[in-house]
Amino acid sequence: MDLIKLSLAQIAPEPGLLDYNLEKHLKYIDEAKQAGSKLIIFPELSLTGYFLKDAVYDVAINIKNSCKNKENSKNIENTGLNFKTFNNYNYIIDSLLDKSEEIVIIAGFVESDEDYNFYNSTFCLSGGNILHVHRKVYLPTYGMFEEMRYFKQGKEFGVFNILGVNSTILTCEDAWHLSSSYIAVNKGAKLIIINSASPARGIEEGNDKFSSVKMWEELLSVIAFYYKSYVIYVNRVGFEDGIGFSGGSCVFSPDGKKDYSLEYLDEGLLNIEINLDFLKNERFKTPILRDENLDITLKEIKSIIDYR
Amino acid sequence: MISQHLPVIDSINFKNIHKLLINFIKEEVKRTGVNKIVLGLSGGIDSAVSCYLAVSALGSDNVAAILMPYKASSSKSLEDAMLVVKNLNINHYIIDITAQIDVYFDKIGSNKSYYNNNSEYNKSNFNFEDKSKESNYELKLRMGNKMARERMSILYDRSHILNSLVLGTSNKSELLLGYGTIYGDMASALNPIGDIYKTQIYQLAKHLGVPESLINKAPSADLWQDQSDEKELGFTYKLADEIMFLLVDKMYKPEVVISMGYDEDIVHKVYNKIKKSQFKRRQPLIAKVSQRTINIDFRYLRDWI
Repeated sequence: MDLIKLSLAQIAPEPGLLDYNLEKHLKYIDEAKQAGSKLIIFPELSLTGYFLKDAVYDVAINIKNSCKNKENSKNIENTGLNFKTFNNYNYIIDSLLDKSEEIVIIAGFVESDEDYNFYNSTFCLSGGNILHVHRKVYLPTYGMFEEMRYFKQGKEFGVFNILGVNSTILTCEDAWHLSSSYIAVNKGAKLIIINSASPARGIEEGNDKFSSVKMWEELLSVIAFYYKSYVIYVNRVGFEDGIGFSGGSCVFSPDGKKDYSLEYLDEGLLNIEINLDFLKNERFKTPILRDENLDITLKEIKSIIDYR
Repeated sequence: MISQHLPVIDSINFKNIHKLLINFIKEEVKRTGVNKIVLGLSGGIDSAVSCYLAVSALGSDNVAAILMPYKASSSKSLEDAMLVVKNLNINHYIIDITAQIDVYFDKIGSNKSYYNNNSEYNKSNFNFEDKSKESNYELKLRMGNKMARERMSILYDRSHILNSLVLGTSNKSELLLGYGTIYGDMASALNPIGDIYKTQIYQLAKHLGVPESLINKAPSADLWQDQSDEKELGFTYKLADEIMFLLVDKMYKPEVVISMGYDEDIVHKVYNKIKKSQFKRRQPLIAKVSQRTINIDFRYLRDWI
């Protein structure tokens, strides 16, 4: 049996209150650890809140400055500079790095880089190190969303190893572009972790879900089924200026079925177990990924780009 | 042509909508450090729905209703408001606004000498006698607006005494049509029903258990006797809501809505009302002088902490 115990932390961050949000993270991390989980996943921008507008500037963290990060601290020592003075929020990353000795932590934050660009980022901390940072690639800037106004686009859909399993992190809108999960699974991802801050919207007759929730769950099922992967969706709850985030965090297994889920609109922690034997079985029975022809895709995409 | 209509709030989607609205009140109120709300209860369906939602969210101890009749208000309105108070077991205060409204209009506002002494009116050869004859409606409108602002003023004063926030009671239909008084009934700290059309308010009311006598009467601002929203607007809410759903929620252009079979005149009338009342839904304009101007490029959430 190839099992992974993990936790989905569906929280309501307060916009701009990083200390408050950190406390909430620590509380959920402790609960997840007690439940025996090896991995805990928080929503998009879980440490900062979502509709930050100009406050993006105030809450950004340059993780390279975090001195507790074992690998980075070596580099910082080499430069002879004390980067810690550059940013007040390093202690937040540091205290989560401490916690990551016992449990892998995925959480969202506003990242700033050495060139003072800002990103809607998600880190994965493990064993006291920063294992991976995903910078959101597709930044929605339409309707109520204005991410491109503040954030720079990420450049890739990285695949990295969590607890022996190749995984990827897609942040909210990233997942709406089916190319993102296509790239990730072809790079070897078996666990597709989607963290989001999705507002509840749209009333439909005879439907007990908001329209936005219905579309999300259909998408997650498609990704899980056709890419034969586990899809772990962690969405936030709470309100920002009257906009309510829908929650309903859930896990879709490679047969496209929803295995576990949290309530809509309320905070909650879901401790679950996923079985990779089940994924192997699905991939054997329906070898869509094996048959995927990247050469055709590449040729077609190249011709599209050339034609344009 | 595409067939699309305003979705009904039914027993299936009600559960989610109810939870969202309750969480909205709970969380947005709590965030301010206050845990109570105060609202004006008119005896109409909108304020009743807001009140039922507030009690579900915060409990009856944390909701206070202010009933503010004017002498011309229908007695049925007060009875219906009291029915809500009784059913929900909430604190209530009855404050009659007749005295201050009448003092203003008898002595100051509609007084002939006021107009005659006012140089602006003299310049334009304003004749109050003619004016009042030709336009009784004008005076009614002014009085209605004054009453709405008087009630707002009382609500905000009470909210201070009761350490409460003012809960809004304007629905999406009247907000879009501009069928409300700016800085009057449109003023509030937070509004749970501002994204719900009047047609849907009736459906929501049924699921919330609002008494039938409030649901089964013609919508009226009750600013004067026998006032009717729909008579005044020139179309029914049912029709306007269908049109506004297509214009606003679906973002279809008026010509597309007309092509879907809606009456051309009414579509244009509704569309123009929405455009002309935009000012009521926004903060006052500020002349930009500096590098960073409030609401222009000084941009933070209202929930900014």
